[in-house]
Amino acid sequence: MKWRWLALAPVLAVLAGVPWLGDAVLIQFGINALLIATLAQSWNILGGFTGYVSFGNSAFYGLGAYGTAIAMAQWHQPFWLGLALGAVLAVVVAAVLGGPILRLRGPYFAIVTLGISAALSALFANLDIAGKNIGLILPLTRDDAMFYELSLGLLAAATVAVAWIARSRFGIALIAIRENEDAAAAVGVDATRYKLAALILAAVFTALAGGIHAYWITFIDPAGSFDTTLDVRMVIMTMFGGPGTVFGPVIGAFVLSAIYEVLANGISTAAALFFGLVILLAVIFLPKGLIDLGGGFRALGWRYFLANIERHRL
Amino acid sequence: MSETAPLFEARGLTKRFQGLVALSEVSFRLERGAIMGLIGPNGAGKSTLVSLIGGALAPDAGEIRFEGARIDHLPPFRRAHLGIGRTYQLTKPFPGLSVLDNVTLGALFGAGGGERDRAKAREQAREWLDFVGLAPQAAQHADHLGGPDRKRLEFAKVLAMRPKLLLLDEVMAGLTPAETDSAVALIRRIRDRGMTVLVIEHVVSAIRRLSDRLLVLNHGQLIAEGEPAAVLRDPRVVEAYLGRRRA
Repeated sequence: MKWRWLALAPVLAVLAGVPWLGDAVLIQFGINALLIATLAQSWNILGGFTGYVSFGNSAFYGLGAYGTAIAMAQWHQPFWLGLALGAVLAVVVAAVLGGPILRLRGPYFAIVTLGISAALSALFANLDIAGKNIGLILPLTRDDAMFYELSLGLLAAATVAVAWIARSRFGIALIAIRENEDAAAAVGVDATRYKLAALILAAVFTALAGGIHAYWITFIDPAGSFDTTLDVRMVIMTMFGGPGTVFGPVIGAFVLSAIYEVLANGISTAAALFFGLVILLAVIFLPKGLIDLGGGFRALGWRYFLANIERHRL
Repeated sequence: MSETAPLFEARGLTKRFQGLVALSEVSFRLERGAIMGLIGPNGAGKSTLVSLIGGALAPDAGEIRFEGARIDHLPPFRRAHLGIGRTYQLTKPFPGLSVLDNVTLGALFGAGGGERDRAKAREQAREWLDFVGLAPQAAQHADHLGGPDRKRLEFAKVLAMRPKLLLLDEVMAGLTPAETDSAVALIRRIRDRGMTVLVIEHVVSAIRRLSDRLLVLNHGQLIAEGEPAAVLRDPRVVEAYLGRRRA
């Protein structure tokens, strides 16, 4: 197992070397792709492992952005303190909301999470310290290479966390909850505590990504920070790559980011249409995600896709 | 926690569902190391009783004691930690996981909070799969198992929890006579390992061979308790099962 991890070192080295290519557009694409991959990976901790589909993680992203912006723009504190403030805000909100909302199951949980970001957006639009509707301007730092490496480091940390989860007692408890929550409780799994821990962990990484993004773009407002389209992207990218796996969300995020980038250079409406088509086909033919394609195709050949269609009998 | 207290005791357990009384004033004790049978016709309240003991339902009145301490306010996972393990009438495996992983989950949690180390838990799980005769299917997905094997899996999973009290809810329903015989033998071997067993069955034939004592539920009330042979001769029990004889 340890040797397989070593195989990742060159991949990480190549990714870390991208800023030295000096292509500004590529670096900017990289920062966006790395941050959205971090969001997908964070979403995976709760959504992929426990099966609790959240459409509210953008709330943690927004809290991370506002924590960083308030600390830096209003209180003139260093960036790292802002990141910490954003993470603390996200943990507090996750801990307070998690208790009641994680009692809901299936579609009820998903529907409730839809409202969280909108509520926080309205709240921050009325806070003086958050710049009300107008938002906040952060100090300008023109160092995209630094933002790139920070984003890469955060994604690596989130992925290491998920790799640990996948092999731990904690992780198998999360999977048991996904497979059958009542049976998990009967076996002795404290489902409430584990779900809450998963949500809080997801909130921390999501908030850190929001903080890095806020400092990078130097301007934040309520609509852009508590952006529910982000929630849809996290879910789609994780589902596309492979929910409940270590690398699926990262691969899903990179592939879809790249496809979107290529298509967006053409006609934008056609891009959106094609993007939708890719997702539709993926859901039908690859319900376990892109990461399952290699092994599944080797085992079953073309019948792999037919077998997947049959899995939709529910 | 006194040594003189029975392993398990129910006192005046009552459960209603929107006015319908599912259980009424049910009281009984389980002594350590016993196999107690619980029988009754359909709708007698057997599964409701199991759910009350396991914690999936809360009683409307009465108390439940385990090793002398009250447990009726505890959630299911806490009762599992204390040493109560249950199977389900309709088996509830973790469908997407392998048979081995299903049983490993029992070992990782269960009584006392379970084994912390995943590798050790897997070893224990293999032993329990061997014990129930499901070792060859260890790598299969749980939802690919057939009916009797699903019951074996349910056994292995709950045994891996190392419970002191085992609640078996209709584990023999739907088995062939040969499969029933092996289930009876299995439950005896479980008791020989020091576990106390409450066997809930609709079918009487297997349970009369297996149980040290029998409880009979009818319309939510305990109508008989005692030696299997004597209980099954009790006119009230006969009437509950066969209906009132017409003269």
